[in-house]
Amino acid sequence: MHVLLIEDDGEAARFLVKGLRESGYSVDHAADGREGLNRATEGQFDLIVTDRMLPHLDGLAIIELMRAKGILTPVLVLSALGGVDDRIRGLKAGGDDYLTKPFAFAELLARIEALLRRRAAAAHSTRLKVEDLEFDLLARRVTRGGREVELTARELKLLEFLMRRAGQVVTRTMLLEGVWDLHFDPQSNLIDVHISRLRQAIDRGTDHPLIHTVRGSGYVLRTDP
Amino acid sequence: MRLDLFNTTAFRLSVGYTLLVTLALSVTLGSAYLLTESLITDEVDLIIDSELKSLEEKFARSGVPGVTDEINLRIESWGRLGAVYMIADANFERIAGNVTHWPFDAMPAERWPEFEIATIEPGRRAVHPVRAAVRTLPGGDLLLVGTDISQGRRFAEKFRFAALSGIGLSTLAAALAGFWFSYKLARRVGEVTRTCQRIMAGETGRRLPVAGANDEFDALAMSVNRVLDRLEEQAGTLRATFDSTAHDLRAPLHRLRTRMDALLLRSPALEPAVHESIESALREVDRLQRTLATLLQIALAESGAPLAAAASVDVGDLAAELVELFEPVAAAQGLALACRHDAPAIVQGNRQLLAQLLTNLIENGLKYVPAGGRIEVAVRRVSDCVRLTVSDDGPGIATQDRMRAVQPFVRFGPGAKQEGSGLGLSLVAAIARLHRGRLELQSNDPGLRVVVELPA
Repeated sequence: MHVLLIEDDGEAARFLVKGLRESGYSVDHAADGREGLNRATEGQFDLIVTDRMLPHLDGLAIIELMRAKGILTPVLVLSALGGVDDRIRGLKAGGDDYLTKPFAFAELLARIEALLRRRAAAAHSTRLKVEDLEFDLLARRVTRGGREVELTARELKLLEFLMRRAGQVVTRTMLLEGVWDLHFDPQSNLIDVHISRLRQAIDRGTDHPLIHTVRGSGYVLRTDP
Repeated sequence: MRLDLFNTTAFRLSVGYTLLVTLALSVTLGSAYLLTESLITDEVDLIIDSELKSLEEKFARSGVPGVTDEINLRIESWGRLGAVYMIADANFERIAGNVTHWPFDAMPAERWPEFEIATIEPGRRAVHPVRAAVRTLPGGDLLLVGTDISQGRRFAEKFRFAALSGIGLSTLAAALAGFWFSYKLARRVGEVTRTCQRIMAGETGRRLPVAGANDEFDALAMSVNRVLDRLEEQAGTLRATFDSTAHDLRAPLHRLRTRMDALLLRSPALEPAVHESIESALREVDRLQRTLATLLQIALAESGAPLAAAASVDVGDLAAELVELFEPVAAAQGLALACRHDAPAIVQGNRQLLAQLLTNLIENGLKYVPAGGRIEVAVRRVSDCVRLTVSDDGPGIATQDRMRAVQPFVRFGPGAKQEGSGLGLSLVAAIARLHRGRLELQSNDPGLRVVVELPA
C-alpha cells in the first residue's frame, strides 16, 4: 500500500514515515502544501495523510484542488485545530477522516487501515458472517453457532461496526465516533464496559472467542487470536 | 422582541405634540373670539349710550312729549337699523316706542340688560335678541334704548363653529401625522433592532441598513456598523490567536507523544518498569492535551464567536443516548443512572457541544456521588425553552461555593483532587452561554441539581 504523507513538521514527519514503513506501508513524504499537491496529482497513492496547516497551501485547499482534478484517493487530515467546527470544516472540505494532534500512533494506524479497507469493501450485503457468528442486517437478528443472541439496539450497532471491520483494529475513539456519533473523548472507560457486555453476549460459553482486545490500541473481531 | 408601536418614544412624543397643537389653537382662537365679541358689544354699547344721551337732552328741553315725538320720528324715519326705543311711566306702562310692552319684570338690575323680541316677518316667526340700556328720567318715567344684536350673535356663532372645527381638524391632522411619524420611526428602529438580534444570533456579517437619506439614523447605522466591523475584526484576530496557540502548543505535544510512541513500538524488550512509566507519561500527555482542548473551547465559546454548525437537536434523544452510553459504567460503580424526557425537546444547537455538556454533567455525577447513589437526567419542554436537569443525591455543593464552582480549575470534595481538569462545569457554562442558555446550580436536598435552560 502506497501512502503520501504531507507534513511540514520535520521531526513528527520522520517518526510517522518510519512508523508507517515499519508497519508495512511504502511512504512518500512532502514537506509543504505545493509539493504535496504536485505529488498527489502525479503519483498513484492508495491514501493521503495530510497536515492541515502547511506552508504555501493548506491541507484543505489541497483536498479541494485534488478533488477538482478528479482524484478520489481517500484523505486523512491531521490537525492541531481540534475544535468541533474545525473538524466539521475538515470533513466538509472532502477529507475522509480527521485526527486531532496529538494522537497515538496506534490510532493513526487503525484509521489508515479503516480508510484503505473501506475502499475495498464497498459492496452492500444484507448478511454479515464471521465464523459461526451471523448477523441478518434486515431482520436485525444475530446468531452464534445457530443459537439466537439477544442484543439491544445499540449493541447491534456496535457489533455491526465490528463485523464490518472484521480483522481490523478498531480504536475506542473510532467506536465513539462510529457507533455513538460523539467526536470528543469522555474521560471514563465507557467503551470497555460496552465491549465487555457485548463479549458476554457473543463469546460466553464458546471455546473460541471472537472479540479480542489489542493492547494500546483497541479491539478487533477475528477468528484467530 | 417585537416593537410595540404604542409603547414607543415617538408615539408618546406625537401624542404630546398633538395635545400641544390643540391647546395652542384653542387659546389663539378662543381669545380672538372673545376679543371680537367684546368689540362688537362695545360698539353697540357706544351707540346706545349716545342715543340715550341725545334723548335725555331732548327730555330736558321739552319733557315727555318731546321725547315721544323724537322716538316716533326716529322709528318712522329710515334711522338706525335694528334700533329699539321705548318710553314708559313709573309703572312700566308704555307711553311710546316700537316695543309693545315693558320687556322686563321690573327695573333691570344690570347695566346692559338683554331681552328678546318676537317679530312676525313674512312667512315666519323670528326672535331677535336685543341689548339695551334703561334710564330713569327726572319725574320717574323710564327711557329704554336698545339694538337688535342678532347679526352680531350670528357672526359669533359662525366664528365659534369655524374655530371649533378648525381645532378639531387640526387635532385630527396632527394625530394622523404623529401616528404616521411614529409608525415610520418604529419601523426604522424595528429594522435596527431586528438586525441587531440577527447579529446576536450569529449572523455576524450582517450590517444595519443605511437608507441613504443622510439623516441621524444613517449616521447612527454607520457608526454602529463601524463598531460591528471592528468587533468582527477583533473576533477574527482572537480566532487566529486561538488557532496559532492551539497549533503552537499541540505541535510540541504531538512530537513528544510521537517520540514516546515510537519508543514503545520499536523497543518491545523494554524493562516492564520503563514501559510502565512511558505509558504513564503518555497518559499525562493525553490529559494535558484534553485540558488544553477544553480551555481553548471555553475561550472560544466566551469570545462571542457564533455557534458552529447549528442544527435542530433533540436534547431529549441526546440525553437518552448518553445515559444509555454511561449506564454500564454507572452500574459498575454501584450508581443508578436514569433518564426522563419529553419528546420532542428540540433546540437549535451544536450536537457535539450539547453532548459534551451532558457528558460533563454525567461524569461529574459519576465522580462525586458515592456508591448506592442515584443520578437522574431529565429533559422537559417549558413554554419557550428546553429545561435540562441533572440531579443526584451525592454530597452536593454548599450554597456559598456554587458561584465559584463554574470557574475554571475549581474542584470540590476529596473525590476529585486528582482526577479531572477542574474545567467540567466551566465548559458546561460556556456551552450553555454559547447556546444563549442559562445555567443554575441548585440544591437537590440532598445532592446537587444542575439546571440548564436552552431557548427552543
